[in-house]
Amino acid sequence: MLERIRRHWVLYVLIAPILIYFCAFLFYPMAQGIYLSFQKAGLLGPVGFIGLENYAKVFSTPMVWQAIWNTLILAAGITILGVILPIIPAIALVQVVPDWLKRSLQTIIYTPYLFSFVIIIGIWLNTLSPIGLVNTVLLETGLISQPITFFSDPFWARPMVIGLTVWKDMGFHALIYLAALLSLSPDILEAADIDGANDFKKIRDIILPHLMPMIKVVFLITLLGSLRTFDSAFLMLNGRTADQIRTLAIFTYERGILNFDLGVASAAGVVLLAVSLLIAGLARLFLRNEEDEVRNA
Amino acid sequence: MLKGRAVNVISYIVLFALAAMMIVPLWSVLATSFSTKFGSLQPGVILWPSTFSLEGYDTLLRRLDFLLPFANTMYVTMLGTGLHVLLSAVAGYVLIQEDLPGKKIIAGIILLTLTIPTQVILVPLFVVFKQFGLLNTLFSLIVSELVSAFSILLMKTYFEQVPKSMIESARMDGAGHFKLLMDFYLPLALPGFATVAAFQIVHKYNLFIEPLIFINDPQKITLQIALQSVILGESSTSTNDFIAPNVTMAAIVLALVPLLIFYPLMQKYLISGLTVGGVKE
Repeated sequence: MLERIRRHWVLYVLIAPILIYFCAFLFYPMAQGIYLSFQKAGLLGPVGFIGLENYAKVFSTPMVWQAIWNTLILAAGITILGVILPIIPAIALVQVVPDWLKRSLQTIIYTPYLFSFVIIIGIWLNTLSPIGLVNTVLLETGLISQPITFFSDPFWARPMVIGLTVWKDMGFHALIYLAALLSLSPDILEAADIDGANDFKKIRDIILPHLMPMIKVVFLITLLGSLRTFDSAFLMLNGRTADQIRTLAIFTYERGILNFDLGVASAAGVVLLAVSLLIAGLARLFLRNEEDEVRNA
Repeated sequence: MLKGRAVNVISYIVLFALAAMMIVPLWSVLATSFSTKFGSLQPGVILWPSTFSLEGYDTLLRRLDFLLPFANTMYVTMLGTGLHVLLSAVAGYVLIQEDLPGKKIIAGIILLTLTIPTQVILVPLFVVFKQFGLLNTLFSLIVSELVSAFSILLMKTYFEQVPKSMIESARMDGAGHFKLLMDFYLPLALPGFATVAAFQIVHKYNLFIEPLIFINDPQKITLQIALQSVILGESSTSTNDFIAPNVTMAAIVLALVPLLIFYPLMQKYLISGLTVGGVKE
């Protein structure tokens, strides 16, 4: 054993800086966050242990409950739509026969995934402005009589965050599904044809079950990502929409960085971590149980 | 795959509608960016500039000094991606060694990092960066994701596909770790390197929360932050004038150019990576 360790010393030297990096910039901040959440924050740093006082303050702030609620609603919307909707373009892409057309459509639909939310919101700010494309069309067809102020109407705040996030991820998720669809054996579909199954039945009984493992993967990735929603909501946050889309991540930023209330902000951060670990754990448990049931059946 | 006529028609409608949702807004951005200030303020849809003008770009580059954030972002993206790929490859290489004592512990530590998302440790990260004296430096943006478990695991997956017999015989010939990495793993797992690099370039280019929190100095502002202040009209120009849509849209077009050049070149890797990554989760 010692001989093997000695023989591999170069490898340890190679991996050491990487492990030190993870300790210094991930585990240490994490520990620091938990430590700070139990400390009274002073101007120059923590000034003493105050037990659960920061947590008490966090849970007695109505804005925090609103932020938790907003986070959950946004996460639910983003996850449900972001998992289900991309199945449609994925199946549709398989139908496209000319290869060049298929590849072009794939490329175009995937593109928004590369854009930052700053760019995405900039693009849609133009198209959805009161004098922009969408309002012009809606006004001229007589569907609305007043232009909709998508970016400053509290009613539209959550649908906008959800919609733009789902739009950004649509191509990414669709291509994950597409890759899974391409591994579906044509023989099975041919057999279904011979049995006289129509397209609806093929989708329901063959394609969707085949996609199920990937749907679960996308579900978990999307759920975890959406619980941490920051960029999209932060950029759309203004006086009128704040109460609808201020997420827990945004609250910790406002408290910690802008107001420099490190204790309360850290406690809110720990709450966010706990909520996301809890939900992720439940989701995993739920998915696993279902898998077992399928296996037992 | 499906035979019905209805399914085919619906498929094309869905795909063309989705593509239009991408192309039309982008086209409108482009057309507005080439309009005059007056032209860009006209109500209605701008799908072609009424008078072609470079006024927007001129204002952006000359009065708002848009090149500086561009240069800062390029620096962070290139150096950050280079280091990220290098370190991910090294860690991936260590993880494929078969008889390394303590490998399980190393792998465990790396996997554990997947549970800690940046958004959750924002505030403590700020405190720690302050302790390390990294606040207000471009280097903080390189440090903030110097290496990640996701990239390490991706590299490891690609390295595992390199034939073991080939590595074994090279080792017999006396090849050391450095030579094995450079002469065998680098060329044979090149798609892996390209995939990690492609994702990292997009990630670094789009960094938003990190510069928002770590950087205050206007000299070190990055592209996304500059873009945000132009788009949301919070630009800190000395002249207190109103930023017209043609300037905003010109900023978006300029920010998109590097991405749209890079995308076709790296598309293959961006897509192959997502399927490898997807299966791994």
